[in-house]
Amino acid sequence: MKKYKIAIYSGEIPPPTFIDRLINGLATDNHSIVLVGNLTKKVTYQSNQIKIVGFSGRISKFWLLIKYSFLLFLFQRKNKKKIDKWIASNVKNSKLSKIRFYPVLYHKPDIFHLQWAKSIADWVWVKEFDIKLIVSLRGAHINYTPICEPKFAEIYRKYFPLVDAFHGVSNEIIKEALKYNAAIEKCKVVYSGLDLEKLTFDSKEKQVENIQLLSIGRNHWKKGYRYALDAMHILKQNNIKFTYTIVGVDLDEELHFQRKQLDLIDEVIFVPKLAFNDVILKLRNSDLLLLPSLEEGIANVVLEAMAIGTIVISTDCGGMKEVVTQKENGFLVPVRNPLDMANAIQEANRLSDTERSKMLSLARQQIEKNHTTEKMIHTMLTLYNQAYESENS
Amino acid sequence: MKVKTANRIGLVLPAIPGYSETFFNSKIKGLQENGFEVVLFSNSKLSIKHPSCTTFFAPNFDLKFTLFFQLFIVLSYCIKNFKSTSKLYKLNKNDGLSTKNSIKNILINSYFLPHKLNWLHFGFGTMALQSENVAEAINAKMAVSFRGFDLYIYPAKFPNCYNLLFSKNVKYHVLSDEMKNTLMDSGIYSDKIHKITPAINSDYFKPDVIGNTTNLVFKFVTVGRLHWKKGLEYTLEAFSILKQQNILFHYTIIGEGIEKEKLMFAVHQLNLESNVTFAGKIPHNDIKNILETSDYYIQYSSQEGFCNAVLEAQAMGLLCLVSDADGLSENVLHGITGWVVPKRRPSLLAQKIIETIGLNETEKIKIRKNAMERVNKEFNLSKQMQEFKSFYTD
Repeated sequence: MKKYKIAIYSGEIPPPTFIDRLINGLATDNHSIVLVGNLTKKVTYQSNQIKIVGFSGRISKFWLLIKYSFLLFLFQRKNKKKIDKWIASNVKNSKLSKIRFYPVLYHKPDIFHLQWAKSIADWVWVKEFDIKLIVSLRGAHINYTPICEPKFAEIYRKYFPLVDAFHGVSNEIIKEALKYNAAIEKCKVVYSGLDLEKLTFDSKEKQVENIQLLSIGRNHWKKGYRYALDAMHILKQNNIKFTYTIVGVDLDEELHFQRKQLDLIDEVIFVPKLAFNDVILKLRNSDLLLLPSLEEGIANVVLEAMAIGTIVISTDCGGMKEVVTQKENGFLVPVRNPLDMANAIQEANRLSDTERSKMLSLARQQIEKNHTTEKMIHTMLTLYNQAYESENS
Repeated sequence: MKVKTANRIGLVLPAIPGYSETFFNSKIKGLQENGFEVVLFSNSKLSIKHPSCTTFFAPNFDLKFTLFFQLFIVLSYCIKNFKSTSKLYKLNKNDGLSTKNSIKNILINSYFLPHKLNWLHFGFGTMALQSENVAEAINAKMAVSFRGFDLYIYPAKFPNCYNLLFSKNVKYHVLSDEMKNTLMDSGIYSDKIHKITPAINSDYFKPDVIGNTTNLVFKFVTVGRLHWKKGLEYTLEAFSILKQQNILFHYTIIGEGIEKEKLMFAVHQLNLESNVTFAGKIPHNDIKNILETSDYYIQYSSQEGFCNAVLEAQAMGLLCLVSDADGLSENVLHGITGWVVPKRRPSLLAQKIIETIGLNETEKIKIRKNAMERVNKEFNLSKQMQEFKSFYTD
C-alpha cells in the first residue's frame, strides 16, 4: 500500500482521543502526518512522522504567517499566487485564512482529512491542488448543527458533492449525511478503535447494597443529564439505593438546581473533568455506565465501559444501537425517557451473576470484533486508498 | 397624599431598568407619585442613567486606565464619610472579615456611603451579598426583594450564601406565599417577610372579545426567555404526545435565549417542525396580538418566582396551564382560573391538555372569566403600589 502524506485538520490540538489513536497508528505504519488546528495545550508525539502545525496566540500566528509565506514564496511561488487569488475571492478574513492554509499548501499532502465538517467551505480549495479531500462525519456537526443553523445545511449541500470520501463514525451518521448530498458510494464507516491491551477485561461482582452509577462527558445539553436526574428521582421514589456520579460537569446551574429540587443531594455527585486513566478507574469501580445522551456519533466512553467489563445503559441515539444490543450486551432505552431509563437501571441491577457475566462477555466480544485500533487504522487506510485511487486511476 | 417620613429610598439593581421593563419602572413611578424620592444604585458597567431618578454607579475597577481615578474617588468618599466608613469597617470585623477583606468590602460599597437614605432596598437577594452591613453603616433601614433565581437557583449552586444576610435586620419582599415559606424555613420570622405579588396593567391586557375560540387547530403560546428554567423542553415533550394522538395544534414560543439550539433540536427530534414556531423577541403589541388569537397559554416552568406573562395571559382571557413550580400555583388556581400540573412530568401535562381540550365551551368560558376577574382584582398596579407604600411606611 502507498505511504501517504496526510494532513489532518482537527479543530483543536490536542485532538480527541480517536484522532490521537488514528494519528499514532498511521505514523506507526510509516505514513507521514501533518496535524493542523488551534493549539490549546502543548502536545508531543514520539514518532517523527508526525508534524504539528498549531495556531495559538498572536505571536505564534504571526510567526506561522511569516514562515510559510516565505517558504511558499521561495519554493512554490505559483501555488502561492493561486491560493492568494482563491482567498481574495472567497474569504473575508484573508490573514487568518493564510495562517491556516499556507502550512497545508506548503506540505502538499496527498490527502487532507477534515475532522471539522462545519468548516468545509474553507477547505474545498485543496481540490484545486490535487489533494484528496476526506471529511469525517462526526456527532454534532452532522446530527444537529444543520438543523439548528440551517445555513450549514446549505453549505453541506453545496460542498459535499466535492468531497472525495467520507468517514462516518457510524452507519447512522452516514444516513444523516446523505440528506446533504453526500454520495453513498463515497461513504465508509470507520468505527472508533481502542487499545484493548490497556483496557483489560475484568468482570467484577456487582454491588448489592448501593448501585454505583456513572456518566462521563462534558457539560452540554446533548448529553441529556437532565433526563438522567429525572430517572434518579424515579429510582429514589422506588426506594432504590444508589449513588450517581457525573464526571465532566462541575458548576452547572441547571443540574445543581435540579439535584436540589428533586432532593438528590445525597445521591448525586458532580465531578469536574478527569484524566483518561482516572476515568477508566472510575469506570472499573462502577456497576453501571449510563449514557443519557440525546445525540451521539458513537460515544467512546460506552466502548471503553464494554471493553473493561462495566454494564452499559445507553439511549438509542445516533449510532449507539450499532454497538449496544438491547439486553444482549447492554441496555438500550429510548431518548428523553427517564422512566425507561430508571426501569433499565433496576433491570440491570436484578441480573443474576450468570446473566451479568454473559452480558459483559458479549460486550467485550463486540468491542474486540469492531473496535480495535488495528481495525480502525486498516479501514481508514482502505478509505484513503479508495479515494486516492478512484480518480488517479 | 404626600408621605412625610421614610421618603428617600435607595433602590439597588443590577442594571438600570430599560423602557420595556415595566415592573421596576411602574414601581418607581408609583413611589414618586406617592411622595417618595427614589435614587438608583447599580453595578452596571454601562452607566446609562434612569430618566426620572438620580443614578449612582458602583466603582469599576476593571478598567486599568481609569483605576487611579476610581481609587481617588473611592478614597474621597471614604474620607468625607468617615463615620459611615468606620462603622462599616467595625460591622465587617464583627462578622469575622479579615482586615484586608473588610477594606475591600468598603471599597466595593463606597458609592453608598455619601447618601442619606431612609431605606436601602436591594432589588434581588444576590445584590445584597457582600453589602450586608451597608444599610446599617449609613443609618438606613434595609430591605431585600427575592425573586425566583436568587431564592431558588443561586443557593442550589452556592449553599449557605445567604447565611450572613439572614442574620441581619432586614425587611424582605417576596412574590408568593411559597417564597415566604422558603424564607421562613431559613429561620426568618414571618413578620419580616412581606408578600407583594407582581401586577399588570389590566387596561392594556384585555381582550376585545371574551372566549373568541374559533380555531380549528388549537393554538398554544408561551412567552419567556429561552432558558432551561422555563421548562420548554418538557413542554415540547408533552406536545409530542399530543401529536402521537393526532390532535391538531400549533405552539408558538415567544422569546429569545441561549437554549434555542437545544429547543430546535428537540423540535426536530420530536417531529414537531410543522407544529412549533419560534417567534423570537417581538414588540409588546405583537405579543398581545398573538395572545389574542391563541386559545391556551402554557407556562410549564421548572422554576418560577411568580410570572407576569401568566397574569397577562389570564387577563387576555386565555386558558392557562402552568406547572406547580414555586409561585405558579398561586398565580393560577387549579381548576378555578386554569390548571396546575406537577412539574417535570410531560406525560401529565399532555394528559391535562387533552382533558381541557375536551371541556365544553361553557366550562371554558367560566375558567376564562374567573381568571380575568381575579387578575383584575388581585394583581392590578394600584393595589401593588399601596402594598409597596405600606412596605416602606408601616
